[in-house]
Amino acid sequence: MSTYQRYHIDTQAKPDLHAHPSRFRVKVRRSRLIGLLLQELVEYKANMPVVLSRPCVYGVFSGPLGGLAPREHLCVGCLRCTTQYPGIVQIHPNPERSGLPGTMIGPDAVDTILYEARTGRVPVRGAGYRGPFGGSGWDGMWTDMSEIVRPTRDGIHGREFISTLTEIGEKPMRLAFAADGSLLGPSPAVFPIQVPFLFDLPPQPVRSDPLLRVLADAARRIDTLAVAPVSFVASEPAGPHLVPLVRARDSWDGLRWMPRLVLLEDWDRTRFEEARKRFPDARIGVRVDAARDLTEMLSAGVRILQLVADDMGQAGGRFVGDVLQEQHKRLVERGVREEVTLLGSGGIGLAEHVPKAIICGLDVVGLDLPLLVALQATFRDGSIRLPALEHDWAVQRIVNLSASWRDQLLEILGAMGIREVRRLRGELGRCMFQKDLEREAFQGIAGYEG
Amino acid sequence: MSANAIPLIVEKHKRALHDGFHRWPTMGFRPPALGDARWPSELILATWVQAETGRPPQNGLEYRIGASGGGFDLLDFQFVEASRRVPEREAIDTSIRLNRRPYDKPIEIPIPWYGAGMSYGSISEQIMLARAKAAKEWRTFTCTGEGGYPDSVAEYKEHVITQIATGMFGVREETIQRAPIVEFKYAQGAKPGLGGHLLGDKATMAVAKMRESVPWVSLFSPFPFHSVYSVEDHKKHVDWIKAMHPTALVSVKVSTPTDVDMVAVGSYYTGAHILHVDGSYGGTGAAPEIAKKNIAMPIELAIPRVHRFLAAEGIRDEIVLMASGGIRTAHDIAKAIALGADGCVLGTTELVALGCTRCSNCERGRGCPFGLTTTDPELSGLVDPEWGRERISRLYASFQHELVDLLRRLGLRSVRELRGRTDLLHYRRPEATRAA
Repeated sequence: MSTYQRYHIDTQAKPDLHAHPSRFRVKVRRSRLIGLLLQELVEYKANMPVVLSRPCVYGVFSGPLGGLAPREHLCVGCLRCTTQYPGIVQIHPNPERSGLPGTMIGPDAVDTILYEARTGRVPVRGAGYRGPFGGSGWDGMWTDMSEIVRPTRDGIHGREFISTLTEIGEKPMRLAFAADGSLLGPSPAVFPIQVPFLFDLPPQPVRSDPLLRVLADAARRIDTLAVAPVSFVASEPAGPHLVPLVRARDSWDGLRWMPRLVLLEDWDRTRFEEARKRFPDARIGVRVDAARDLTEMLSAGVRILQLVADDMGQAGGRFVGDVLQEQHKRLVERGVREEVTLLGSGGIGLAEHVPKAIICGLDVVGLDLPLLVALQATFRDGSIRLPALEHDWAVQRIVNLSASWRDQLLEILGAMGIREVRRLRGELGRCMFQKDLEREAFQGIAGYEG
Repeated sequence: MSANAIPLIVEKHKRALHDGFHRWPTMGFRPPALGDARWPSELILATWVQAETGRPPQNGLEYRIGASGGGFDLLDFQFVEASRRVPEREAIDTSIRLNRRPYDKPIEIPIPWYGAGMSYGSISEQIMLARAKAAKEWRTFTCTGEGGYPDSVAEYKEHVITQIATGMFGVREETIQRAPIVEFKYAQGAKPGLGGHLLGDKATMAVAKMRESVPWVSLFSPFPFHSVYSVEDHKKHVDWIKAMHPTALVSVKVSTPTDVDMVAVGSYYTGAHILHVDGSYGGTGAAPEIAKKNIAMPIELAIPRVHRFLAAEGIRDEIVLMASGGIRTAHDIAKAIALGADGCVLGTTELVALGCTRCSNCERGRGCPFGLTTTDPELSGLVDPEWGRERISRLYASFQHELVDLLRRLGLRSVRELRGRTDLLHYRRPEATRAA
């Protein structure tokens, strides 16, 4: 007898391999500190617990030498010490913190991703939002919520279920049946994955077999997909989580087993037809620039498309969210949206980008750079470097990140009262765009030009 | 450590903190790590000055806007020419009514704002007391939040709103019966759609007793009310309150979804006196970062939508619209009213007046190192309720002074005349702000 098991991602704390630069620098004027101690020795008549009592509750000044050797990695930037003793201690933002130049991942995003990869938890903090008002790209979108609709936050904590299962493949718009009830025409040819994101091909400078193996194992653990060059996939044992990416010059002859999905780099009708013959039981997708006209591919029968943006979330010189909305709407207008699976690639930096990309029209979001950040890649002088990867550590870090991002997706879905992520796709009505809201709110106010 | 040392330690740090709150705004340079886009360092220091002096700073500190690059920070007032301004000798009325229905108890407050709900557990009893004392002094209100009603606060019951939220933590018949206003919290701006969240470290013995829960276990208020699936169900809630306390006014606190205007109308028809709309950029408690930034709309964008819809339905003058969620300054209050609110609800601003540096560590370990959002006995001792009352009262005085000055320059004799006057606003282009 089979036993129903609710989908769950097992997390496990995995500390950073090397310390990330702390958020703050603690600068102490030692001579003044010694002066203060002497003054307090007299004032409090050598009552040492009082004299040595420190303003920091996080232990920055609790090392053997107290404030003379502050432990700045413990500083959380509360600023109580500098508020109390501005002439003795100053807290500075650490200039060594860095994000990923040329991407949408800044220093704070790096901190967030590292926390998620370490713990698998949802980042929670107090005191409200600290950032700018809306912004461009993903920041110009706010998701909806419902005051009374279930499923509820209970769903996130296990008493109700919110599904993040997504199907990849091709489906007819409707099923047709003969008079005897037998199916006429094609039936859906789809397979499920448990989360609406996949692990995309890592960028070339860090692409290596050990890294690809980490992503493949993590994908297997959480039941999603990892995209890898066909040569790598061919060298691995069969696995439903591996997606070979075939470029024009690649040979697929070495691939002895049947993957669930094969992706072809760029559009080539002949190659597409050949792939269909070579992998009759696999779904065949095509990976193209997100802004590309899809008409010819759709006419040729392509039903799985991976739409690629750059690291800044741009496609065809525009924000990929806008491009995705247009592609989604074109498919709707053409009457084939339900037949097609749209996969994404590029431009995703934080957990919040996943639901927003799905709202814009994606079925499955591709992750790349955040995975490298989770593995503590360093980005210096335009190049990316990965530390030597200990396989189990690295797999768990990716699993942790996935768990955290899925839980954050549940937060968004729960707030909206949406019970399954498939219903979020293209739900533009459950999203608020800054430009629209501002136009409505400020139209007529002098100086506002829309 | 001997127990005798603890009072001395608390006293030592309290003195140093008060000295720091006084010195920092006058030091000529800004603490390098202080502030963020919504609350830049200058605005925090300017709030400390106002909490100390009762007037806006005179040393050039920016006290009117933040640096968020949008919303209130891009709105200015267009003042009228000198001949149309209200002369100094004439009084300006800053009062608002909290009941615009033709029935039930008339309640008026002399300033167009009151204090937001912050629960016992998320903040200390000392802070609750400081807020209640200030509310009494100004004849306005503060709110219990969802965490019960400490006995020490009962003395100020005429100025305390009892909040009923989805977890019903600390809600008792007597705390409803003693409240002039009862607030139903359907949602809150910092975590719209997600319910309240008190982390285990802050659920001390005393907090758990008040909430009738288990100590040191995280408390999640469910979302939404499990007894409310429609406006009709909400009416049942209102009726329940009216049965228990017939003269209470009812406030409904909601967040800012796309249909916030419809929610407002629904609340009106259930008999609510006050609609409290809480925008997404505010909040004082622990919340998932993803929720704070991404769910629901900022208050600046929600106010006009609600105001206009209520007006179009012909019911605008029968319900009071209070706005919260990112109201930081007297100018924000005035702008919110010009956009269509009757008044505002202040939370974070009061905490900043008491020394909050917006470090966002409220939820960690022992809680706020400044003794604000904590129930740790040593840390909460850093705030004396009387000192807190003075700080909040002086901030209120400064805000009222600034509001009166704004109204005078706008040629208005009452803050009630400002409501919905978007013609008095001017929108600055973001590029112009950056250049400035």
